[in-house]
Amino acid sequence: MSKALLAALPLPLRLLLALVLLLLLCLCALSTGSVPIAISGLLGLAPLNEMQETVLWQLRFPRLVLSLLAGAGLALCGALLQNASRNPLADPYLFGIVSGAALGATIATIVLPQWQLLTPLFAFFGALLAVFLVLLIGASSRWQRLESLLLCGVAVSFMLSAITTTLLYLSEPFAANRVMFWLMGSLSQASLTHVALISPLVFITLLLGLLYRRQLDALVLTDESARSLGVNVRPLRLVILLLCAAVSAAIVAFCGGIAFVGLMIPHLVRSLFGLSSVALLLGSVWLGAVFLTGVDTLSRSLLPDQELPIGVLTSAIGSLFFLSMLFKYRRG
Amino acid sequence: MDQTPVIEFQQVQLHIDQQQILMALTFAIQAGQFVGLLGPNGAGKTSLLRLLQKEYQPSSGQIKFQGHPLSRFGQSELAAKVALVSQLSGPLFDLTVADVVLMGLIPHKALWHTNTEQDLQQLKQSLELVGLADKERHSFAHLSGGEQQRVLLARAVMQKPLLLLLDEPTNHLDLYYQHQVLRIARALKITVIASIHDLNLASRYCDRLLLLSKGELVADGTAEQVLTEQLLTEVFRIPCLIDQNPFGDCPRVSFGYKDN
Repeated sequence: MSKALLAALPLPLRLLLALVLLLLLCLCALSTGSVPIAISGLLGLAPLNEMQETVLWQLRFPRLVLSLLAGAGLALCGALLQNASRNPLADPYLFGIVSGAALGATIATIVLPQWQLLTPLFAFFGALLAVFLVLLIGASSRWQRLESLLLCGVAVSFMLSAITTTLLYLSEPFAANRVMFWLMGSLSQASLTHVALISPLVFITLLLGLLYRRQLDALVLTDESARSLGVNVRPLRLVILLLCAAVSAAIVAFCGGIAFVGLMIPHLVRSLFGLSSVALLLGSVWLGAVFLTGVDTLSRSLLPDQELPIGVLTSAIGSLFFLSMLFKYRRG
Repeated sequence: MDQTPVIEFQQVQLHIDQQQILMALTFAIQAGQFVGLLGPNGAGKTSLLRLLQKEYQPSSGQIKFQGHPLSRFGQSELAAKVALVSQLSGPLFDLTVADVVLMGLIPHKALWHTNTEQDLQQLKQSLELVGLADKERHSFAHLSGGEQQRVLLARAVMQKPLLLLLDEPTNHLDLYYQHQVLRIARALKITVIASIHDLNLASRYCDRLLLLSKGELVADGTAEQVLTEQLLTEVFRIPCLIDQNPFGDCPRVSFGYKDN
């Protein structure tokens, strides 16, 4: 129904609607929080006091841009990985990226507490280690089967989680708490440096995804069919995996474990905007950005003077979404 | 006129996991021929088609395409000249029929090229050719097996190939579309190599038949030359009778046991 309604609108109007919705959400995110800022102040129609200026430019603006980027990046990676692996349940987490990042963060927090400031760096390298292990095991089976690569991801994920849990079990409770909090995900440490590090990765991945749109469509059928159209299936799949690993590793390193965005958003986009790669990638970028910004604003406003970890909210919404899909599927 | 064969097999052997799949095949296919690959399961028909797509490499011998070693052609270069229609299991993610047919442009388009008015015109013509002009915006996954097969044929037409490979193109199709798909492929007037299970369809539509058995080429010629009672009974291990197809000047094959 919603898809039919959207399809009835001409494309420029749909794009305008998407842009207006995004701008309204951005204004809402910038004005909401423990220090309220009126929309008129944000639009320059009313003066802001010094406190509001500081909160706006030092805290909320970087946080807004990071939430837009992280949501767009995670959803984009989910869409790419799902199409490239022909697995509707693929997302950045399936290749052990988050477990690797968690291990990196745990080592930085517990084993090397003097290097705690470098937690994001350790998390990033942990995520890369996970992908490296998946690729190493995948390469040893000569990439013969796509399923084996996904199983490698699951195995590596569990292995790294086991090491992390052991380290947490043996550590002092305060350090374990810090890691647990990091794992729940948060955008509270957002800075423009994070934005500068993540944005090139997201833009390059989106650009390559759009350039290779026809090849990505072809991958949705069979490998044999894609190859008969001249698609170099294995190199393309490898590049997608590496790019998504880099994007997700960077996001997880700075924002912690934000689950379900990469898994849920592409499914929603397919049902709303269409199925070809262009609609899927652009739709995922837009909806991912809108979703995470909305959830972050919610996480800052649900409890008075306290923030809920964003990963808790995305997981809760994600599980409800998949339950609703299950019931819809059962109804036929 | 150029007499260089489109495809030439010179003593081609294929081993997979130390098992011999194809044995020293030698034959040449001229431009414009419609060739049927026949043989029981495991005879090597699909493996032969995979050699032509470079999915497999010959263990020995050489395959030439338009007079040049096939190994010299890159994946993309080959896709601009060779199209494949094969069996598909239902795709997990859906695409529209137009999305699938437009994939045929991949070998001819640079990454940054968009679809032109001419491309969309060609899309319509390809769909008209396979009788699916009204299904352009329909979901590919929700089509019947036969319709999906015809969409893939339209995609192959869009690819503008010199050589069309059909891997069991008539499976899952009802009688009408079995004939329709082969008629369309014939009307393209390009070289076609089709692996076909139904010997009567092969007899009706193919200019030439290659009969494979246990990886060996046991007969090569016209339907009259290849479809003989003795040879077919031996290869398919079931009694066979040949008479004349009343609808055309070609042999008709009947298999069966007299006691049932």
